[in-house]
Amino acid sequence: MEDPDNRDVREDLHALRPDAFYSRVHSFQHWFDSVQGYLDELEQGHRADIVPEELPENRRERLITVLCNYSVGETAALEASSGLVRIAPNRPVKIFLATQVVDEARHTEVFIQRLQELGVADPEAAIEARASAAVREFKRRLLELVDGADWDAAILAQNVILEAMELSVFEAHAAVADPVTVDVLSRVLKDERRHIGFGENELGRRLKRDAVLRQRLSRLKRELDHLVLQTVQDTLEALGLSRDERPDIGRNYLAAVERLGLQA
Amino acid sequence: MDFLKNYSIQYWLESCPQGYLEDTEYGHPAGESEPEALLEDPVLRQQAIDTTVQLVVGERAALAASSGLINAAPDAASKCFLATQTLDEARHVEIFTRRLFDLGVKRDELESVLADRANKNLVKFAELLLEKVDKKDFVAAVVGQNIILEGLAFGVFEMIQAANETFNPKFAHTLSGTIADERRHVGFGENRIGALIREQPEKRPEVEQLQKEMSYYMLATFADRFRSRETSYEVDRMKEQEAAPAASAATPEDTAGTWQGVKIRNLEPREMEQLLADTILKDFKERLARVGVEYQTPNRP
Repeated sequence: MEDPDNRDVREDLHALRPDAFYSRVHSFQHWFDSVQGYLDELEQGHRADIVPEELPENRRERLITVLCNYSVGETAALEASSGLVRIAPNRPVKIFLATQVVDEARHTEVFIQRLQELGVADPEAAIEARASAAVREFKRRLLELVDGADWDAAILAQNVILEAMELSVFEAHAAVADPVTVDVLSRVLKDERRHIGFGENELGRRLKRDAVLRQRLSRLKRELDHLVLQTVQDTLEALGLSRDERPDIGRNYLAAVERLGLQA
Repeated sequence: MDFLKNYSIQYWLESCPQGYLEDTEYGHPAGESEPEALLEDPVLRQQAIDTTVQLVVGERAALAASSGLINAAPDAASKCFLATQTLDEARHVEIFTRRLFDLGVKRDELESVLADRANKNLVKFAELLLEKVDKKDFVAAVVGQNIILEGLAFGVFEMIQAANETFNPKFAHTLSGTIADERRHVGFGENRIGALIREQPEKRPEVEQLQKEMSYYMLATFADRFRSRETSYEVDRMKEQEAAPAASAATPEDTAGTWQGVKIRNLEPREMEQLLADTILKDFKERLARVGVEYQTPNRP
């Protein structure tokens, strides 16, 4: 009863047939093997031995606002990815999305814990008061797509657009953040790379051969672009970066989405 | 709300992937395989496939329910717990599906094997639960999932694990990780739902009716399973294996294969059915009482 598709997969994952490869990289076992290492022995999502930097009050305030925006983005991803499990087209994809659900929940948890470490007594109230209108609207629109069981549109919005935005923003933030926040973000980024890879694979092949789908998703992308770019701008402003200090995150985001062949 | 700290992602990471699942592959230590005696006997192999199909069907329902409940959860900590449960259930789907492949089910036949062999009463049981999830009825759905479905899974897994301790260590080890998961899920259901039922007492009649109906379909599933000729054959063959000198020598402890104080292999299938049903229903009664819901005696199939 030996299964040739699973023999020595840790040694030679890329030697698998395409269907076995996708099944393997979407599995719990693959997630389990991937996160072992970078999630070991953490406290509150970061290494316990990092000495926290004493942040000046205005920097602490700015960081709190940024983390509130991140929390809305991560809660959107948590609620969307969990909603997508039910409508996913097959078992390996359901299992991959379940791993994403727990990743997103972890991100929500570590950002809320970081808020508490920064002295925020009621993180939910702070998120309500501070999160940007653009990221809230993005969340509302994403969940509308999930509730409508629009698989392709929801995967584009969540695993390509939202993840690309988060990837670009977190990378830029990690370049200027305090050591504890850098450590939290670096581990979140590892998860996000897995998620965006899934989105590109899931949609990429179909988009190449389906012009109608490409047109429909291009329209959706255009609809969401301004919310994404506004969220990025709000976050960079909250980080206190002047215009000439800001990395070209908008361009990075657009490039990631355009890799799928969607029209501007 | 403090109890929810014990259901955080951090706690889950430390206790589950970095705890009892460390050094496992598909839920069991690397290198373990299904016993030859099972793979070589077509009836035993078919029975093992049938059992595993029901486990996959139950776990798929739990995966759909736990993921579907995240949006309906009233607070962030409950959402995080349900996220860990979603991944636990996905892992169970994966390891039981993997067992079907180990038992010789072809990958391209998986869905048809599941459709052909899923017990119709178990499917009805799952549909009742998923109706509540679809309506985003958090209270009823959490009782249905984290007390009824998980209570069922907990009892079934424990009994199957005891029955396989000597005969099939690979399957017994696979089940031990799922039992540890189910214990956490049942604990969440009791803790969280108790508070919500107190806040929404008008939900009680609906929840009680759901428990009664789901319990009936659970008993009907057991009846279908334990009253078949194939199960009698399976139990007899496994008793023979247990009595073989090599197997006896391998488990000197007297408690091996014992569940609820009874040596499972000493029971006839109808006695197993009775023990399983009585244990789970008693458990429902106690748990429901703790959350303030009155247990309803189900009809017997």
